[in-house]
Amino acid sequence: MTWNESLPLLVLASSLVPGLIIFCLAEESKGLRTALNLVGVVLKLLLVAVMVWGVEQGQSYEVRFPLLPGIDFVLRADALSMFFALLSAVLWLATTIYAIGYLEDSPKRNRFFGFFSLCVTATLGVALAGNLVTFLLFYELLTLATYPLVVHRGTQVSLRAGRVYLAYTLTGGALLLAGIAWLHALAGNLEFTAQGFLSGLVQDHSAALVAIFVLLIAGLGAKAALVPLHGWLPQAMVAPAPVSALLHAVAVVKAGAFGIVRVVHDVYGFEVVAQLGVAGPLAAIAAVTIVYGSLRALFQTDIKRRLAFSTVSQVSYIVLGTAIAGPVATVGGVAHLVHQGLMKITLFFCAGNLAETLGIHRVEDLRGVGRRMPWTMAAFTLGALGMIGVPPMAGFFSKWFLASGGLDVGQPWVIAVLIASSLLNAAYFLPVIWTAWFRAPPETWPAERAPARGETSLMLLLPTVLVAASALGVGLLASMPFSPLQWVGLIVDVEYAP
Amino acid sequence: MTGASLDAWLLLLIPSAPLAVACALMLWPTRRALTLLAPWAALPALACALGLAPPLEIDLPWLLLGTQLGLDHTARIFLFFTAFLWLAAGVFATGYLQEGDGRARFFVFFLFAMAGNLGLIIAGDMLSFYASFAMMSFASYGLILHNRTAEAGRAGRIYIVMVVAGEVLLFAALILAAAAADSLLFADVPPALAEAPTRDVVLALAVAGFGIKLGVLGLHVWLPLAHPVAPTPASAVLSGAMIKAGLLGWLRLLPLGEGPALEGWGLLLMAVGLLAVFYAAFVGIAQRNPKTVLAYSSVSQMGLVTTAIGLGLAVPTRWPEISAIVLFLALHHALAKGALFLGVGMAASRFAAGRYRWLVAAGLVLPALALAGAPFTSGGLVKALLKPEAMALPAPWGAPLAALVSWTLVGTVLLMARFLYLAWPSGASAGAPSARASSGYSLAVPWATLIAALLLSAFTSGLAGAEAVWTWSAVLSGVATLALAAACTALAGWLLAKVDWHRIPLPASGDLVVPVERGLASLLRTSARALHDLRYRLSGGEAAAKSYLTTLRRLLAPAVSIEGGWAPACTMFLALLLLLAAISAT
Repeated sequence: MTWNESLPLLVLASSLVPGLIIFCLAEESKGLRTALNLVGVVLKLLLVAVMVWGVEQGQSYEVRFPLLPGIDFVLRADALSMFFALLSAVLWLATTIYAIGYLEDSPKRNRFFGFFSLCVTATLGVALAGNLVTFLLFYELLTLATYPLVVHRGTQVSLRAGRVYLAYTLTGGALLLAGIAWLHALAGNLEFTAQGFLSGLVQDHSAALVAIFVLLIAGLGAKAALVPLHGWLPQAMVAPAPVSALLHAVAVVKAGAFGIVRVVHDVYGFEVVAQLGVAGPLAAIAAVTIVYGSLRALFQTDIKRRLAFSTVSQVSYIVLGTAIAGPVATVGGVAHLVHQGLMKITLFFCAGNLAETLGIHRVEDLRGVGRRMPWTMAAFTLGALGMIGVPPMAGFFSKWFLASGGLDVGQPWVIAVLIASSLLNAAYFLPVIWTAWFRAPPETWPAERAPARGETSLMLLLPTVLVAASALGVGLLASMPFSPLQWVGLIVDVEYAP
Repeated sequence: MTGASLDAWLLLLIPSAPLAVACALMLWPTRRALTLLAPWAALPALACALGLAPPLEIDLPWLLLGTQLGLDHTARIFLFFTAFLWLAAGVFATGYLQEGDGRARFFVFFLFAMAGNLGLIIAGDMLSFYASFAMMSFASYGLILHNRTAEAGRAGRIYIVMVVAGEVLLFAALILAAAAADSLLFADVPPALAEAPTRDVVLALAVAGFGIKLGVLGLHVWLPLAHPVAPTPASAVLSGAMIKAGLLGWLRLLPLGEGPALEGWGLLLMAVGLLAVFYAAFVGIAQRNPKTVLAYSSVSQMGLVTTAIGLGLAVPTRWPEISAIVLFLALHHALAKGALFLGVGMAASRFAAGRYRWLVAAGLVLPALALAGAPFTSGGLVKALLKPEAMALPAPWGAPLAALVSWTLVGTVLLMARFLYLAWPSGASAGAPSARASSGYSLAVPWATLIAALLLSAFTSGLAGAEAVWTWSAVLSGVATLALAAACTALAGWLLAKVDWHRIPLPASGDLVVPVERGLASLLRTSARALHDLRYRLSGGEAAAKSYLTTLRRLLAPAVSIEGGWAPACTMFLALLLLLAAISAT
């Protein structure tokens, strides 16, 4: 096995192995567990960085062995997979540090970090999967690895949320499987191919292809929280803050959105999607989700629930960009994978800091918290402004490209949807910012557990500030080489090559 | 990087100086030296405006989507008066705000707004303009809320709603403009826009989006509420400098002097502008707070600016002359309004009680006269030069417009009279917090400098035909008109003094916003009720989803009880795998 073949496996192993070891550790061996976690995430980041650099240089990384008769297990690095892989690796590093700080002194940390590592393994597998079956394997593994994290607290509420989560995602998985099986029977081939591999079948099997498309999108939409399949997401926010952060920023919902990008571009190809007439309905569902999620967010008083509905809305930007055939809109949509990830993880880290340090869970309890926790609230403000789409935050660039792309292909209604979303985002984020910075703080906080010095533990604060700074940085430096936008440009050039 | 000259690199200092000081102040809010340094962050901008020769250009391809900063003639003038006013107001603020007043917080917002305001002036592309515009708008929210009163809260709420509305309008306008020009550079947009099929849509969006900042009639409602509630030095920059960002946006984006005459748009803007001049004067004289009167005067003056822009759209051939007048009008208004706002602060300071009282009074009267357009002042110059341009309009519009432009003087005189009456240094208010300042110079020096610059500007404008304006007859007629207007005002004031003001339903500050607020409140109540009903009905759907879940749970019941559902999930996963294997084997 050559280096280029083993690299994708090493990327997966860098979290799988530490995860499995952690399961076997004693609960008290905190030092070893922490070391394993950190070595794993740093190693993974390095490996992924090497692969990103290699892909940019034109290297190909692929490993393949037969899984079932006629079906291979394929891990392959292309521009799109590395984009998602790098996002996962970076945010995992931040979240692992955060989680170590967050779960200090809480029970069952072995179980938590073990599944945590399995979860990242599955996400990287989703990113690197080279065909639909490999994708499905890791997609399901992700469901299973996330469940114990969602119910980690073990309370009634979290168990119920876990069951709802399973009901949605397993139903979704079954639909996805049905679609994949049908497609396998029809096309024989399931390898992801730039511009799709189904153009030869459109003539004879258009009805079947539409049905399969519906199955696949429904299966993936359950994780991507497309309305009306979004019900699990707001409930799952009972999970510990680092889990919510991951769920919303990179792992679960993003796996769904990433899958939709794959299906539209590398299975069907945008031209086939347009010919089948399914692009319009998909765009419509995305638009409805964008507006509906924001509307629901407006009426939430719990900070994390508000953020959860905001995720429902924001993740559909990716779907919208994918559904609007046209390179510019695709850039906006795919770049939003990273942009939304950075901004939303910031917001969830902040919510976690507030809950851990001051016991704040509700928007109204945020009064004057800006003075007590200025760094956290500064990070929150940046993230929220990004969600609204204020330049130079990352979110603005997603919106700019989505809107320009919509115009390019003669669909100016996209601008109206984005404006509606911006207004709604402003309506539910600005009052939070105003409450935190401009209202007088109360005498005492709901449940203060402040550290000796600083506004909160450094392990919580540092990742928060760093991801907030990145959300600003990828916007400010949007034209630098290796910025998300530039990288997406590379991907899209391949997809839309003549 | 392009081969930009060293001079062009200096442009980078303009926004980065205030940003750097702001960041330092956030890190060390208790350092007194940093608050004293804060106003001087505008100094690089002022130096660039005075010392650098346009045109300059520098490309920063790595920033945003490729940023271009540049200094052209328009930018230079804007940069001059904006930086000058920020510097003066900043120095004033160091004396005006005391330690306990949240001075560090004030200066952080002040500096961010300053960086945005200065940055948008040298922006050569739409995105850096938009980003700076947003930074300025959101940072000044903190200035408006600074005093934490209920009044400030209401003003802030209305302000931020208008800001967000403006942001999304501009977003749409810029997207469409960029698509029409296939470029983000301001140099490419207006010519392309003049021919584009989307021209009218972009024009409508831009006129409204920037019009919010500029206080165009109908969109001005936030302005008389927000400008006065901020601390006085912040009011000065809001009403003097930041308001002009809207004008600059128009100058950069609208197809002025390009392509065919847009008579429809021109007439619309002229009508709205002239209406604003008189309407704002009418509502303004009914106000009881001198700063609110000044804010209405800003709406009125920006009405004149709107009129001039409308004229430029209608008569593109005259745009070179009109644009020179508009730029000078902007400079004149910035200096005058800045001096007047700081004057309000002076009139409440210890200077107003002592032997300097008459100096303070003179310092209020002089800028008021300039604003009213007295002979030998900048305001008089603007009106004298604008009148002949109005005659360039095709008949029958030319003569009436010229006449209306002269009549705007009546509105301004009324407003200024009302202002002087309210702000007159009586000495009674010398116990106000700002009066205890030991640093009297930091109040008096910037104020006096502003007034001096305002008076000087009338003679150094460099406008074509400026020397020939003040003939004997023009001066005589100017003085006569002013005297007549003053006499009318005095008469009206005397008559009105006999009336019980409280029995007259005066327009409240914020005029149009009051019924809108009431309407919105009732709309919100209604929609909340409707939403409640809707949810009630939707819960039917929720019940269906719940029953589906219950069924699913019952089906899986034996397994669910084991470990919260994880085991069945694994089983199902294995089943799926087997199914997959079976399918693939066939």
